[in-house]
Amino acid sequence: MSASQSAVRSRAEAVQVSRTFDWMILFTLFTAVLGGYHIHYMLTGGDWDFWTDWKDRRLWVTVAPIVSITFPAAVQACLWWRYRLPIGATISVVALMIGEWINRYMNFWGWTYFPVNICFPSNLLPGAIVLDVILMLGNSMTLTAVVGGLAYGLLFYPGNWPVIAPLHVPVEYNGMMMTLADLQGYHYVRTGTPEYIRMVEKGTLRTFGKDVAPVSAFFSGFVSIIIYFLWHFFGRWFAKTDFIADDAS
Amino acid sequence: MAATTESVKADAAEAPLLNKRNLTLGMLLYLVFYSFIRWYEGVYGWSAGLDSFAPEFETYWMNMLYIEIVCEVILFSGINGYLWKTRDRKVMSITPREELRRHFTHWIWLVCYGWAIYWGASYFTEQDGTWHQTIVRDTDFTPSHIIEFYLSYPIYIITGTAAFMYAKTRLPTYHEGLHLMYLIAVIGPFMILPNVGLNEWGHTFWFMEELFVAPLHYGFVFFGWAALAIMGVVNTEVMAITKLLKKDLA
Repeated sequence: MSASQSAVRSRAEAVQVSRTFDWMILFTLFTAVLGGYHIHYMLTGGDWDFWTDWKDRRLWVTVAPIVSITFPAAVQACLWWRYRLPIGATISVVALMIGEWINRYMNFWGWTYFPVNICFPSNLLPGAIVLDVILMLGNSMTLTAVVGGLAYGLLFYPGNWPVIAPLHVPVEYNGMMMTLADLQGYHYVRTGTPEYIRMVEKGTLRTFGKDVAPVSAFFSGFVSIIIYFLWHFFGRWFAKTDFIADDAS
Repeated sequence: MAATTESVKADAAEAPLLNKRNLTLGMLLYLVFYSFIRWYEGVYGWSAGLDSFAPEFETYWMNMLYIEIVCEVILFSGINGYLWKTRDRKVMSITPREELRRHFTHWIWLVCYGWAIYWGASYFTEQDGTWHQTIVRDTDFTPSHIIEFYLSYPIYIITGTAAFMYAKTRLPTYHEGLHLMYLIAVIGPFMILPNVGLNEWGHTFWFMEELFVAPLHYGFVFFGWAALAIMGVVNTEVMAITKLLKKDLA
């Protein structure tokens, strides 16, 4: 085969071309997943993620892992099963959290003046790393869904505890008992402030006191298993390379 | 020796495989433009964007809306019309090196598409959440909507359709038909814009801005999933590029 039939002039150029494509692909995948994941997450679990006075022991712990395991499962289905890259979940969550942090700082604080310590995002990284590690070591979608999905739900609250604990200490304000996070919300009034809007500590499960968070986390892990299965197959479908007939061509 | 000299001269004269200047300028274009937009929001959101019945709202926000819609229609028609008009009618007979060069150009479009999606779906969409938590809306055309729905979404739609059009008209890979995931990666995020119709229609019934996770917003979620179809595009591109480089990398 003559040189003119080759796309590159040398092996060195081929390697350079390949690496350049790697970076361009990574950037595009990262930003596209960031956009899709962020719009999904902010509109399915956003209110719990936006404000500390929504970060309760029951619904935040339940909702956030269930709605956030979606894109990690789908991206894993492409990156691991096609390229043996064990970073699908972590890269999705890192993308989401970069998007969130930029937004909370530039817009929540920079445009509407909420202090960052009322509107910082939840930490999803521990669960994502565990998902990737289990997939890498087990090489099994079922194992990752069952063990990883459960771990993803269970790890969410401990993963956020060091940040949220200081805001869950009780305070008495105007004769009422509330958390420091509630007090932040009380002072920074939003259109989501009214108690008929704010979905926190609903129902009677909260009367179980200290047991609320672990029970919620366990339930969240259970649903996360199912969601992982579902989104793994979504991911496989979205990774297809099929063409449909083009009558015009 | 003479042949080698000619070859070297030809190499020096030919366009680079990746036009780094275009890539950098493309990225900077979005960054600089959106930095300006963010500055504009910061200044005129508070000073002229709180009361839609005020004359200054018309001056600073409604006029911006009219201008951006006109510009977007012109840009969409111009870019896609140009790409279609200048299409390669002998796309299957290009050399492997030219094909590789076109893949790079295609990836400049895709990088810009990803970048535009970030600004639209992440930056300006969540920003809209904090604006509605702060300001009670009295119009569908709030300052955050004029930027989010009617500026940042059309911009990624224009970029995405241009990337698709470039691939379809210049790359042999996409000549055999319509790439299903590419269509979804472009049409899905595009459908977020028509879904604004549902959103605004719903908001005329209820004050739902109190809750960002309201079911009224789930249309955006559904179409946002389509961004995952970029994985199908990546897979197809990896196969095509691997085919071009395989023997050289072996």
